Amino acid sequence: MSDFVDQCRREWRRLGVPDPLADEMAADLASDLGEAEAEGVSAEELLGSSAFDPRSFAASWAAERGIIPEPPSPGTRRRRPLVLVAFTALAALTLIVAALLLLTGQPKVSLVRTRAAHAGVLPVPPAPFVPPGTTRQVLLHANTSAPVEWILLFLAVVALGFAAWLWSNWGRSRPPGIST
Amino acid sequence: MALGAQRRTELLRGVLDLCLLAVMDEGPAYGYEMTRRLRDRGLAIVGEGSIYPLLGRLERDGLVETYRAASDGGPPRKYYRPSSAGRLALGLGVSEWRAARDAVDAVLAPVKVEVAS
Repeated sequence: MSDFVDQCRREWRRLGVPDPLADEMAADLASDLGEAEAEGVSAEELLGSSAFDPRSFAASWAAERGIIPEPPSPGTRRRRPLVLVAFTALAALTLIVAALLLLTGQPKVSLVRTRAAHAGVLPVPPAPFVPPGTTRQVLLHANTSAPVEWILLFLAVVALGFAAWLWSNWGRSRPPGIST
Repeated sequence: MALGAQRRTELLRGVLDLCLLAVMDEGPAYGYEMTRRLRDRGLAIVGEGSIYPLLGRLERDGLVETYRAASDGGPPRKYYRPSSAGRLALGLGVSEWRAARDAVDAVLAPVKVEVAS
């Protein structure tokens, strides 16, 4: 019995429960367990399945009293890392693609114009002869598309930094005792 | 956990707060005393979570009032009794429970139960 209360005390201390409140809960619990034992009532009859898990019991009691934040639901615990993993992977992929595009000297962006008459919207290299109504393919070379890749690179670096902050913040904000 | 025990646990989980409010409405009680009153009515909480977190929630929500007093020759205990909001919640909860129970009874009443010997 006292071992159960001692484990609860350790858990409350670890969770940052103020000493006066921890003392009060420990005293009440010890008194109830002692009275139950004197009447031949098992700890399981008093505590239910919590009798086998003092840490969860202590955390749950403190959370329900509003002394510590409530642990997130199991679904939230699983979903949040998945979202972070996906976001981090996307940012890393974008960084790699942008870096590769910048490092290669090949033309990177091709724009297709449907009519020669519309080609004047972009700086089109002069062509010797284009029959009206035919399709022309306009290739924009590296120097034209580079800003897009630099923007991608910048966004990827910012996204990776944000992902790193989310990971570290999530790790710190997880309530102690949640082992997953 | 057997299916029957699991169902019983699920049913209890939804009304255990009402049961606690009801037994402390009979007279202020500390934690173990409430467990004893429940057990005397055949409501053991084996398999169900402890009543302590639930009492904590009732206290946080302002549905119970607490005070410390010496028990019969024992150490000071924390006694619980329903607040006015708690009594209101108890009344509403009991009405909801009875309505749900009657509806379920209406559905299950025609079922003939054969108990295997």
